[in-house]
Amino acid sequence: MSEIADAHTAISLTGVEKFYGTHRALAGVDLQVRRGEKIVICGPSGSGKSTLIRCINRLERHSAGSIVVNGIEVSESEDAIQDVRMEVGMVFQHFNLFPHLTALENCMLAPRLSRGMSKAQAEKLAMKYLERVQVAGHAHKYPVRLSGGQQQRVAIARALCMEPPILLFDEPTSALDPEMVKEVLQVMEELAHGGTTMICVTHEMGFARRVADRCVFMDQGQIVEIASADAFFDAPASDRLRGFLAQILH
Amino acid sequence: MNLSLPAFYGYLGQLAEGALITVELFLTSFSLALLFGIILAVATSSKSRIIAAIWSVYASIFMGVPSLLVIFLIFYGGSAMVTAVLGDSASIDITPFSAGVAALSIVYAAYIAELLRGAIANLPHGQFEGARALAIPPLIMWVRVILPQVARLALPGLVNVWSFMIKETPLVSLAGLNDLVATAKIAAGATKEPFIFFIATSLFFIVFSAATLWLATRLEIRLDRGLTRTKA
Amino acid sequence: MSGLPIDLALAYDSMPALLRGLMTTILITVVSLVCGLMLAFPLCFARMSERPWLARAAETFVVFFRGTPVLILLYLVYYGFGQIKMLREGPLWLLFGSAFGCAIVAFSLNHAAYMVEVLRGSLLAVPAGLVEASEALGISRRKVFLWVRMPLAIRYGLKAYQNEVVSFTKGTAIVSVVTITDLTAVANGIFEQTYDPFTPILSAAALYWAFINAIRLVFRFWGAYLNRHNEDGVAETTSLPTSTLERMTGAGFTTMTTTADPATSASTGTGKEAA
Repeated sequence: MSEIADAHTAISLTGVEKFYGTHRALAGVDLQVRRGEKIVICGPSGSGKSTLIRCINRLERHSAGSIVVNGIEVSESEDAIQDVRMEVGMVFQHFNLFPHLTALENCMLAPRLSRGMSKAQAEKLAMKYLERVQVAGHAHKYPVRLSGGQQQRVAIARALCMEPPILLFDEPTSALDPEMVKEVLQVMEELAHGGTTMICVTHEMGFARRVADRCVFMDQGQIVEIASADAFFDAPASDRLRGFLAQILH
Repeated sequence: MNLSLPAFYGYLGQLAEGALITVELFLTSFSLALLFGIILAVATSSKSRIIAAIWSVYASIFMGVPSLLVIFLIFYGGSAMVTAVLGDSASIDITPFSAGVAALSIVYAAYIAELLRGAIANLPHGQFEGARALAIPPLIMWVRVILPQVARLALPGLVNVWSFMIKETPLVSLAGLNDLVATAKIAAGATKEPFIFFIATSLFFIVFSAATLWLATRLEIRLDRGLTRTKA
Repeated sequence: MSGLPIDLALAYDSMPALLRGLMTTILITVVSLVCGLMLAFPLCFARMSERPWLARAAETFVVFFRGTPVLILLYLVYYGFGQIKMLREGPLWLLFGSAFGCAIVAFSLNHAAYMVEVLRGSLLAVPAGLVEASEALGISRRKVFLWVRMPLAIRYGLKAYQNEVVSFTKGTAIVSVVTITDLTAVANGIFEQTYDPFTPILSAAALYWAFINAIRLVFRFWGAYLNRHNEDGVAETTSLPTSTLERMTGAGFTTMTTTADPATSASTGTGKEAA
């Protein structure tokens, strides 16, 4: 199962471990993600899926092993962390939009502060991505006036405005009312048709089936099975995955 | 250091007496403030707009004016006020202590009442309705059903008021009360050792706050028995 | 005599003097508020620092200057530091050489200690998810603080800040004890001259009341402006975290009127505040 990291590797995880005190959240994870690949990670709660992707952009510190993102090693170095974060965008379960800024301003903030863009440039960029996720009409509204689905789409646009080659999604639809899940998944599917590398932690199996190149099943801090989407759902090799799928897809 | 040990112990004794007066002042004022505050809170929790207006005025005045002024007003003008209200035959000697107690109680009753009104407002309506449905008479409802729960909700705020009020007791020294601060000032002046006496005084207040806070935390735990703390 | 004898003529005549006293009060208040706030930021960073010795030192500062009544601090600075010849005449004469300077020092230190806790509580009240999101966007630590954490902290802490400013203002009434002629001192002076306690004290009280309510009004407008992003323009009321230490040093109403009200935390399915 171990692949060799090469020039086409976007993210390379080798032997990644994470401890919270004595609790082992990640127990040696190996994963190579190719450029442009779409990966869906699923598993029971507590399996470490969120922890894993949060280690990629250093929102969590991994305790052991190595994480390399587009050639940059994720380490203690502030510069390295900054560089990695410019390569990686993230969409959160609870949106995390800045409540005191409009949708447009939410999107403009990072390009202006991190890339030094002018107000006009940033505004143009932001409108472009807000249109892409189909919330351009709400650009001047504050998050409190937007539905959950709209907020999450703004959050996606905000991440896109930094034009990262890699996008991480941490259960992006889990906090949404069912009728809004679809609109967000649609945006994500549309994104998937582009060349962005995407890693998505989700319970949306239909989405996984349609969009993922490979699916990863995690349990108790370890990767139990990785397979192409078809093989993953049609012919799960491990018992645990079979059990999990049976539960989720009944 | 130009202070001999025996002299220091002498002053320490005086300080202790002053501290006693400070504590007396504080406990008396706080108890009265609590009593008035409860009465005010219950009385002004009615829907009557007139009462609400009166409360607004009272609250606005006593929370919008320095306590020191209230102390001075009562101390210097107190006997005249009493005569005015009760007629020429009545007159009482207003001591700094009584002026201090009166002033602090009136002012802090406002803060406490505000606190309690908030707590009452935050009580689930069901408590009132349940009590009424069970035909519990109003007085008993308040005393045995509502106020205990209000106490729980209001405790952190009451602890705040407690901590804040103790630090305003030195104001009464400016009206002539021989409390801890006044005594310390005299001692500091007499011995030319301001640091020793003022820092000692400061430590008294800090320790007093810490000790009472510790008690308050234990009280909170006790009051929370039988209830799961649900995070809002 | 019946009723409170307020001598309107006297009140009118004393207005100029009272207003001059009010100016002094306002001056002392404003200067101390500014100095105290400036001091509070580095102290707050120290308090929240990961270096234990720094955090401990800041904590000690807060415990002392918040737990001590202001009057004692005033005495300490005026009769203590203010009498040290070296300080009075040395380079720090501006601070310790005059009663005014001593008052500013004492008040600023006291206010700073309270503000350290207000600041700290406000910063802690900013949902961690928002900070994470800004870090994930590649914004540097410093800029995250300036453009995300502080703006939000101000919104969360405004009520607490207002409470502190108001009670601080009322606390300045003690400066008369070190020969500064503030509003209270003027009122006392008039009383001593005329033997009428009511008129000057009530007039002074009215002026304080007006000043304090002006402050409240300013905060109301400021709050409405800052919170225009909220549905009803009302601040998210949150109960600032009350650490044991805070309560030990007498949180002085910083947490008193900011009660957690479940009804106002946006329950419109936005889920933006950390659950």
